[in-house]
Amino acid sequence: MRRLTALVVLVVLAFATLPASATGPLGLEDAEIKRLLQHGPWVDTVPGDPSNAVSGNPAAIARGHRLFFDPRLSATGTIACATCHVPERGWADGRPRALGLAPGDRNTPTILDVARHRWFSWDGRADSLWSQSLKPIIDPREMGASAEHVLKLLRGDAGLACLHAKAFGAPPGGEPERALVQASKATAAFLETMRSGRTPFDDFRDALARGDVAAAARYPVAARRGAQLFVKSQCSVCHFGPAFTNGEFHDVGVPNALGQGRVDAGRSDGIKKLRADPFNLLGPWSDDRTGTAAVKTRHVEATHASFGQFKTPSLRNLAHTAPYMHDGRYATLREAVRHYSDLDMERIHTHGEQLLRPLKLSPSEIDDLVAFLESLTDPVAARAPIAPAGVEGCPAS
Amino acid sequence: MAVLAAAALLIGSAEACEIATGVAPRGRVETAGIVVVFTTLPPVIEVGRHFVVDIRVCAEGTAPVLTRLDADMPEHRHGMNYRPALTAKGEGRWLAEGLLFHMLGRWRLLFDVEHGGRRTRLATDVVLE
Repeated sequence: MRRLTALVVLVVLAFATLPASATGPLGLEDAEIKRLLQHGPWVDTVPGDPSNAVSGNPAAIARGHRLFFDPRLSATGTIACATCHVPERGWADGRPRALGLAPGDRNTPTILDVARHRWFSWDGRADSLWSQSLKPIIDPREMGASAEHVLKLLRGDAGLACLHAKAFGAPPGGEPERALVQASKATAAFLETMRSGRTPFDDFRDALARGDVAAAARYPVAARRGAQLFVKSQCSVCHFGPAFTNGEFHDVGVPNALGQGRVDAGRSDGIKKLRADPFNLLGPWSDDRTGTAAVKTRHVEATHASFGQFKTPSLRNLAHTAPYMHDGRYATLREAVRHYSDLDMERIHTHGEQLLRPLKLSPSEIDDLVAFLESLTDPVAARAPIAPAGVEGCPAS
Repeated sequence: MAVLAAAALLIGSAEACEIATGVAPRGRVETAGIVVVFTTLPPVIEVGRHFVVDIRVCAEGTAPVLTRLDADMPEHRHGMNYRPALTAKGEGRWLAEGLLFHMLGRWRLLFDVEHGGRRTRLATDVVLE
């Protein structure tokens, strides 16, 4: 390997510069306001999924909704998707770690706003929502079913078969694997409709954007101080943008030992599984003929740092989705904030995130950060969805 | 014929390095007689959005070869989570696809160029605010 002979660093690009940190309305500095504005606006629309031909299709959404709440989808007839993604629990399950047919190792994430994700599962093993929707069906620890089981269910239920035909242009049949993929694509079409609404923070943020100081002042003072702490402490670097996540993976010092000599390798294991997955976006089941959706899959790279990394979760709707972290170790938001306050640098791998330092927060600062995080919650997100309107010509079941 | 040869030499030289005739580069970095000019698609790089870098490498004498394009965040001591793919487009031009910056802050685009039996790394900052 030849030595690199020269290193020249020139600043040629600066896409924007921070304004001077003058103090603006409500004691917020200009730089803080700029950061806070980056967490919005929150819009209730997401683009369709080009890898899923039935994305946005009403019959597929109706079928997906029905399947989501149907325990017959599992091998034992006892576990539905909604068993772990419970509407009243913020579409999670309230448990530290998932429990399907057998105990899992990780916390059940909410499915609210899941259509916005780039990668799915805590380790990013799936690159599309339909591919992720497929995995619990056949995972022995979750629903333990098979492609044959899914095909039999679809054929044996007049309502599901009718919706299937409306969505895919033909009754369920053919190879079982196709039925499994189609069931997952219909489920994904339904999941795309799981969108959370506005939060108190969004009202505050939008008031700042339009310079409406009176409206911004209605945001609780503690939450406002917490918002300042959030951006000052660089939390927004990873919890970025309107969804409060950059969609990537980080090691934040949460232990990953599973006991009995097992370790959760996180992202490095997720990339291995993604590459071996016949249902990834590089495979034959993707409906995206342009290849655009698969750019991330084609270029994703595992590095030493990938070991022990987990996906940065969205911070929206946190008040509905306790407990927290990939293994659900913290029962409350206060405990999760304390994790970052008392961060154990010894637990972060050598290749880990160099941005992280213990925040060393006072008790009142922890209160403020918790108040801010709670304000990121849509108060009505934790409720069962209204069933999609019936599809003409299809029986109810 | 002599006029054509002179024109070709000029296009490949460091002084006249352009991505394409009349296309203004978004960035230019030069060292050891090697010039890299580039633009990005889309023109504004956003956190969490894949982008493409259109690159032209120029040097006097033998044709320089771009062997790698990468990016890192020196303060965070990490790179991208994606490996770009380089495609040679001819006449000193390359297209790098698959880049994604997943954080705000100072990134460096790193160009590894082989020329005259030497490997040279040219780096330029890209700051996402």
